[in-house]
Amino acid sequence: MLRPSPKFKRAAYDAALSSSAPVERDDAPIWETTLWPNRSLGRTGFRITMAILAIGFAIPVLPFMWAGGFWILLPFVITAFIALWLAFKMNNRQGRLREHISLWHNLLAIERHEVSGEVKRWQANPYWLRIKLVEEGGPIDNYLTLIGSDREIELGAFLSPEERAALKGELETHINRLDINA
Amino acid sequence: MANAATHDHDDHARPGFFTRWFMSTNHKDIGILYLFTSAAVGFISVCLTVYMRMELMNPGVQYMCEEGARFLSQAPLGECTPNGHLWNVMITYHGVLMMFFVVIPALFGGFGNYFMPLMIGAPDMAFPRLNNLSFWLYVCGTSLGVASLFAPGGNGQLGSGVGWILVPPLSTGEGGYSMDLAIFAVHVSGASSILGAINMITTFLNMRAPGMTLHKTPLFAWSIFVTAFLILLSLPVLAGAITMLLTDRNFGTTFFDPSGGGDPILYQHLLWFFGHPEVYMIIVPGFGIISHVISTFSKKPIFGYLPMVYAMVAIGVLGFVVWAHHMYTVGMSTTQQSYFMLATMVIAVPTGVKIFSWIATMWGGSISFKTPMLWAMGFLFLFTVGGVTGVVLSQAALDRAYHDTYYVVAHFHYVMSLGAIFCIFAGIYYWFGKMSGRQYPEWAGQVHFYAMFIGANLTFFPQHFLGRNGMPRRYLDYPEQFATWNQLSSIGAFISFASFVFFIGIVFYTLRWGKKVTEPAYWGEHADTLEWTLPNPPPEHTFETLPKQADWDKGGH
Repeated sequence: MLRPSPKFKRAAYDAALSSSAPVERDDAPIWETTLWPNRSLGRTGFRITMAILAIGFAIPVLPFMWAGGFWILLPFVITAFIALWLAFKMNNRQGRLREHISLWHNLLAIERHEVSGEVKRWQANPYWLRIKLVEEGGPIDNYLTLIGSDREIELGAFLSPEERAALKGELETHINRLDINA
Repeated sequence: MANAATHDHDDHARPGFFTRWFMSTNHKDIGILYLFTSAAVGFISVCLTVYMRMELMNPGVQYMCEEGARFLSQAPLGECTPNGHLWNVMITYHGVLMMFFVVIPALFGGFGNYFMPLMIGAPDMAFPRLNNLSFWLYVCGTSLGVASLFAPGGNGQLGSGVGWILVPPLSTGEGGYSMDLAIFAVHVSGASSILGAINMITTFLNMRAPGMTLHKTPLFAWSIFVTAFLILLSLPVLAGAITMLLTDRNFGTTFFDPSGGGDPILYQHLLWFFGHPEVYMIIVPGFGIISHVISTFSKKPIFGYLPMVYAMVAIGVLGFVVWAHHMYTVGMSTTQQSYFMLATMVIAVPTGVKIFSWIATMWGGSISFKTPMLWAMGFLFLFTVGGVTGVVLSQAALDRAYHDTYYVVAHFHYVMSLGAIFCIFAGIYYWFGKMSGRQYPEWAGQVHFYAMFIGANLTFFPQHFLGRNGMPRRYLDYPEQFATWNQLSSIGAFISFASFVFFIGIVFYTLRWGKKVTEPAYWGEHADTLEWTLPNPPPEHTFETLPKQADWDKGGH
């Protein structure tokens, strides 16, 4: 989940780079991984939750059907129902985000599949890559960024701060293991 | 991927004071804000009670005079005309503030925000900015509530004296605009709670760490989830009811006015449909805290984890079908009364499951009586006392005698003032080091506990006797026959107040000079939820390692 603090402005996305073609290589990547925001409630769970809410609201509302006050009670109850519904929809929608990392001995490629369906790509040579973790004072805690190809990108902004720290470690391990002569 | 935020990246400084505390989207900072704000409102509310107990200490009226409210000295004999409005204002704002602006914000907003996401391994709340909005709506509601206290109200005086349930026709007939401000205050705080509840529900259901199924989620997180559901289900009904109150007052509708075809009892039904779940919203997060505290200090995993979870769910569900036991005397049919009576008594079953599971957790454990455990033990005793008198009051027939007497006051203060407040203190002492990085002096915490325990019991236990002797609630004065127990009760209130002031001292001393705690799980290995794997305080956020299943799943249950 992205949550820039008001203090920071995200730089506008560079359209020229976003249309860069996907990486086409015959050799399999040395390491690849996909990042996504964690969502623990399935479809059934969501339906059960909303059903319980509907039944709960029926207890105070149904007895007053058409009686005085019914029309004042109803909008509040319906608003609350819709609000929870939307909250889950928004939360799940934000959960469709994916970041795919692939590492070859001379290329690091990252594909970001936006919620809107747009795919953004970035690639750099791992030897000139800088990995930076801003623990505090960034837009989010443990703000992880990669600097390469003249451009700085953020990685895993939707993960928990501790997961970003772990991701940095993993990324560094794999890059340090790269064989420069391969 | 998004470009990185372009900012001077050498700036590792923490956000400034204003950014951190006023624009915060960090669930921990918001939790702290909730705790401090509710403590401040709590202090105001407690001061009102001290003033009430000063007045009730002796028969006759010595402080609340028409000639002017006195605080430091009693009025000379014959120079004080009783000011009933002032008294009514005191009980009203004590109730409104405590119910809406102190206990729920502290337990649900404060501890819930801080520890629920940590315990389930979520990065933050599902909607961090909505969380910020909830907090500021709460502040706004509190301000309206306090403003209402000083706004022109009924009887040509300041404030409204209608009782916290704002019952018509009292509330519809109250003069001035103080009552309208009070209604807005409840509206705004209701909106805040509903937004908070939606946020909590989404976070709890959708953002648990991978592998943490519902049946493995820590009890405190569960208790916050149950509370959130209660809030979401009942507060819209309250909002509807007080909106009708507002239109009755200002736009000439007659929802609650029989002369226009309305029904004042309708308001009571709607209010208590919210009001009864409200008392569970107050106590259920406390259940969660107590479970962790008792398990930690008995050095045993909690006994009967699943029954504990389902007992909380059952209490929540039953809370919605018992509301009319607050209104046995409004003229319901005997059948209706029998139903509400039976349903109410059924609540004793899941509550009993919880009490006995806590006792079973302690059974055979190696118990250390540190401050948080003392508060938890105090809670167990007091909540049981309040629960037993609750079963007594649930009897429709007996309630005829006890209705609106001090017996009721004693009952609900034992479950809420003592039950819930002891939970808050247990939570504060349990997590103080975690939240601040500094530990309070153990002796001071214990002094606070014993003073409060003695003071609170001395305040409320005699009120059972007063109620049984027939002393009615909500009166400024009483006959001399009730003098002894009232005197004792007032002394108890002063002891409790002194302990509260002492507590404020402990907090500021500890924040400034307290001993630093560096051990993450400073209460030992049985404090085994995820927050105990973090440093003290969790520095903005910095886990060194990814939370693995082994971190939170000790296979204990």
